[in-house]
Amino acid sequence: MAITDISNRKKFPANGNVYLPNIAVIEKIIEETADTRTFHFNFKDEKLREQFTFESGQFGEYSVFGVGEATFCISSSPTRRDHLECCVKRVGRVTNAMHRLGVGAEIGVRGPYGNSFPLDYLKGKNLVFVAGGIGLAPLRSLIWNVLDNRNDYGNIDIIYGARTPGDLCFTYDLDAWEKDSSVKMTTTIDREHEGWSGRVGFVPQVLEQAAPSAKNAAAIVCGPPVMIRFTFPVLEKLGFTPEQMITTLEKRMKCGIGKCGRCNIGDLYVCRDGPVFSFAQIKDFISSEY
Amino acid sequence: MNDIESKLRTEARNLLEQGKVNAIIGFAPGSLKFTTTPLITGDKEDTDRLVINPFIANNLSVFLHEIEGPVGIVAKGCDARSIVSLIQDNQLAREDVFILGIPCPGVIDLRKVEKLVGRDRDEIDDITRDNDRVTVAVGGENKEFSITEVLRDDCLSCESPAPKEYDLLLGEDNVVVGDRELSRSHIRELESLPPAERWEFWKNEFSRCIRCYACRQVCPACFCERCFVEESEPQWISPLPRWQDNLVFQATRVIHVAGRCVDCGECERACPVNIPLRSLTGKMDEIVEELFGYKAGTDKDAPPLMTAYVPEEAEDFIR
Amino acid sequence: MYRRKRKILSGDNMKKIKKKDIGKLLSKWQADFTVFTPSRATGVARMEEWDGKDTDFLTWYRNTVIPPKNNILPNMEAMFRFQKDEAGYQLEPVTPEQKQIIFGIRPCDARALTIIDMVFKDTYEDRYYLTRRQNTVLVGLGCTNPYESCFCTSLGIHPAQSADVDLMLTDIGNELLIEEITDKGKELLGKSSGLTDASSNDEDSAKQSRETAYQKVTRKLDTTGIADKLQASFEDKDFWEKVAAKCITCGICTFLCPTCYCFDINDEISKGSGARFRNWDSCSFSLYTKMPAENPREEKWQRVRQKVCHKYEFYPRLFDTIACTGCGRCIRFCPVNWDITQTLESVPEHSAV
Repeated sequence: MAITDISNRKKFPANGNVYLPNIAVIEKIIEETADTRTFHFNFKDEKLREQFTFESGQFGEYSVFGVGEATFCISSSPTRRDHLECCVKRVGRVTNAMHRLGVGAEIGVRGPYGNSFPLDYLKGKNLVFVAGGIGLAPLRSLIWNVLDNRNDYGNIDIIYGARTPGDLCFTYDLDAWEKDSSVKMTTTIDREHEGWSGRVGFVPQVLEQAAPSAKNAAAIVCGPPVMIRFTFPVLEKLGFTPEQMITTLEKRMKCGIGKCGRCNIGDLYVCRDGPVFSFAQIKDFISSEY
Repeated sequence: MNDIESKLRTEARNLLEQGKVNAIIGFAPGSLKFTTTPLITGDKEDTDRLVINPFIANNLSVFLHEIEGPVGIVAKGCDARSIVSLIQDNQLAREDVFILGIPCPGVIDLRKVEKLVGRDRDEIDDITRDNDRVTVAVGGENKEFSITEVLRDDCLSCESPAPKEYDLLLGEDNVVVGDRELSRSHIRELESLPPAERWEFWKNEFSRCIRCYACRQVCPACFCERCFVEESEPQWISPLPRWQDNLVFQATRVIHVAGRCVDCGECERACPVNIPLRSLTGKMDEIVEELFGYKAGTDKDAPPLMTAYVPEEAEDFIR
Repeated sequence: MYRRKRKILSGDNMKKIKKKDIGKLLSKWQADFTVFTPSRATGVARMEEWDGKDTDFLTWYRNTVIPPKNNILPNMEAMFRFQKDEAGYQLEPVTPEQKQIIFGIRPCDARALTIIDMVFKDTYEDRYYLTRRQNTVLVGLGCTNPYESCFCTSLGIHPAQSADVDLMLTDIGNELLIEEITDKGKELLGKSSGLTDASSNDEDSAKQSRETAYQKVTRKLDTTGIADKLQASFEDKDFWEKVAAKCITCGICTFLCPTCYCFDINDEISKGSGARFRNWDSCSFSLYTKMPAENPREEKWQRVRQKVCHKYEFYPRLFDTIACTGCGRCIRFCPVNWDITQTLESVPEHSAV
């Protein structure tokens, strides 16, 4: 499976300047967990609001002016365009500053950057989504994209887990997918927790137990690095080839356009040749660089 | 090869052979003229490359925190004091380090030589020392200088050229032909300036700092795993190389190493843009001695200066 | 006056200027450009705005400490300013406008710019770098006295010849021979004075001078198959740990390197308004790749491996050129004399991956 060529992607730099953000306004804030929030926003410029397009898997560089910029995927689906969404976990300077913003606040958005999930490859296949914690955010964009074009795809399995029930993100989506009869939804938490009557177990283990078939299938994985590292061997055991395993990686990023140098894995830049990769592309580097 | 060198090589080899140390840290010939380079090895055959000459500039104790288990380390007087200071700060256990003490007659400052002969170091044919005379062979001529003209400034004011703390002393305890006044002359000059001019001077110097952090990285006293400049919440100073941030960075760093700095001069030697950092660290050392009667790295059992509370300390500043 | 045009390699009549007349030439150029020349006035050798009189640099100048990349990719530059008013945030991009001449750039540093041009043009154009680049005229000066640390010749670069500059000067004793290389250079030559025609003797002297400089570069590095060798050794932790043992992970090699271009982006505010800057960053720093959950290059040997492989394996795979020009600054200024040529020569022969 080839890396998606991004050279013909639509670019939306303000004033033709690729480092200049476009101004966007926060319209809604959802508290997903104690340290994670989803922001619904729209561009201030009417024309840009209409013209802006992106694909599932792409990310943006979001600015809190005066504090800095940080990278988050666009977690809404391109099939639902009345607003855009990003999901932010509070871990450092910029993310903390973002969490202090309220509805109506202005942020800067540069993007969309990166490649996207290969829909052409995924069409007609059975899809297995494996996610952990906030890793569901980029996958969510793809899941809604797929569900909004349900007939183009085969079976859909979603396995999602978090450390505790309080760490589960997008619970409103989990409910919707639970109710969707065309989707097999499995939610799990790492360890027994008071009040939780659902599945218990680490995501890779639950995946192994669910044992989805690898025939005409593709697995899309996203989560903390340790979860991804343990998930790939399970998928291999289930018969998935490295090309059938797709993931989206996270790296420290600044420019988002393959210039500042820091997000590379070998000669691949996660911001430009990724963040979506097949395991086949990165397996040589996975032990020491990722 | 001189006598001390051959003794050093034998001792280092023995230490490795007998399994008394996991690695030896010393000096090997560098890839440039008049340069040595740190040699860090667990292979006893490498010990044949160890050298002792007037260019053993580095303070090797900066490598100690990276190597597990007992290590043999070549230490000049200043380096040994750094080791003692690290022991005081609990960064190192005394039994984990085997100090191969080198009584040091002083290290030659190549920048001074270059200035005196008006050529770059790779254009010089040879530099040889004979006690307190140094001969520089350049452009077909032999130029002679007094040792006080070419020694590093910190060597000129060195009070303990031979390590006081060691496991083996390779050579006789010695005295450096020094000139304390000369070595501190820049500090005295700066002190004589009115504050406004002093500020202009340092503002100018720090305008060319590029924040390479070489000063911090060569310094054994800077052993923090996460330096204050790397903190983002709160962000103490900006990562941007503006003179204001550069100056605050260095001033803060110097204060952080108060009581740990042994005036080895590595920070100034490493600085690629020639900022006279030793004028700051040297002044700090003077202040530390004046206020607390304390000299870094002289007593491994003493508590570190800035972390010890001594009830008898002067409290006359509390009014 | 009739002048028979001689057929020379460059095709045009070559000009020359007496070294003592350089000041007049620079003054003439200063009318339309900001002229940068080698200078030690700030305390370190680098390209500074010409003070209008000093031409002594011709006597001491071998190469600057801070590479001329600083004039095109400054160690700190504002990208845009922002301010908040009742209508919300207003952003004002900063446009580099200065027309500048870098006088005396060496072939290694000029080639370095050609090399890093590729990354700033790739896919998304970096306006800041490219505008400065467009606004800059490079007047190259061939070496006469390479350092012992120079190894440009091993990377296909001639210490006294360059196609990466707009005008190329060769030292022929009391005079400098001037060659037009590009149209930009030709245009600058048209704005010059104090030039005379060069004779064929002058061109012979220049040839001699170039050859002498070439022979003086004694440090050699064999780069045959280096990218493949590095790829095969990528997982060799023992090798890389040994290589990295004495590195102290400061930023000197990367900041003084003319082909290193990695940068950081930071905001600064003051009283309600502010700006977004970019500044030099280094893959040698542990903060460079640090993420909240983990750091893929936590350990020193991983960062040293990244630096070497990026220059000699990854960049060549992307842009077909080694990202190193053998200027030798990293070797000269490294506080521990870590030497990239020694490292590259010791890369083990592993069987291909």
